[in-house]
Amino acid sequence: MNLFGMLEMSGSALGAERWRAEVVAANMANGETTRTAQGGAYRRQLLVFRAQPMPRFPLMLARLRKGVADGGVRVERVVADASPMPVRYQPGHPDADSAGYVTYPNVNPVMEMADLLSAVRAYQLNAAAVQAAKSMIQQSLQILS
Amino acid sequence: MSTPISPLRILPAEMQSAALGSSSVSGGGFADTLRGAMDEIGQLQSSAETKVAGVLEGHGADVHTALIAVEKADLSFQLMMQVRNKIVAAYQQVSQMQF
Repeated sequence: MNLFGMLEMSGSALGAERWRAEVVAANMANGETTRTAQGGAYRRQLLVFRAQPMPRFPLMLARLRKGVADGGVRVERVVADASPMPVRYQPGHPDADSAGYVTYPNVNPVMEMADLLSAVRAYQLNAAAVQAAKSMIQQSLQILS
Repeated sequence: MSTPISPLRILPAEMQSAALGSSSVSGGGFADTLRGAMDEIGQLQSSAETKVAGVLEGHGADVHTALIAVEKADLSFQLMMQVRNKIVAAYQQVSQMQF
């Protein structure tokens, strides 16, 4: 952990939460999309976060020299939600099956709104941590003057 | 029957030599340290500049990454200024010494 360790960690969390909000926005934008590059209707996307390990002491020295951020969070991958897809009876639709049913994305607007709020609040939380880290460093600079 | 007590030494020989060696090796002294710190701050500032330019030109850089880089450069600069103020104050005190 160096002088800016806390800033780096909160910065990684800010990036991760922004990405989460982006994925929510993509889900909401494609809430009615029935055609995708993979074929079929759009599937709701989810992010998998992984904690970056806090280093043990010998590693810490090596990483301090390299300036690698420790702790914090990293987006490991984006996965598709495997929950069942709703179908609607729309016989005139070009993507309807032989029985006249169209498969629609498994995107629930209420869930997406809740996810979006949660991402925004988490972003605020980490921005507050950045402010706290900054004011701590400034306080320590006051020692000398 | 008693085990002999080994005599105390003020400093082990290897530590003495290490201390002497380090003082003779770091000939540059404080000025070099300060110069190194200033180089590092220069790097931080240029990286902050690159990131802010990336945001402004729309290269897809993260806003928070750029702002954190600016903050890091600013705080490092403040630290450097505090150290410099302290050194200048100490120098002035020494230069005003009366005999």
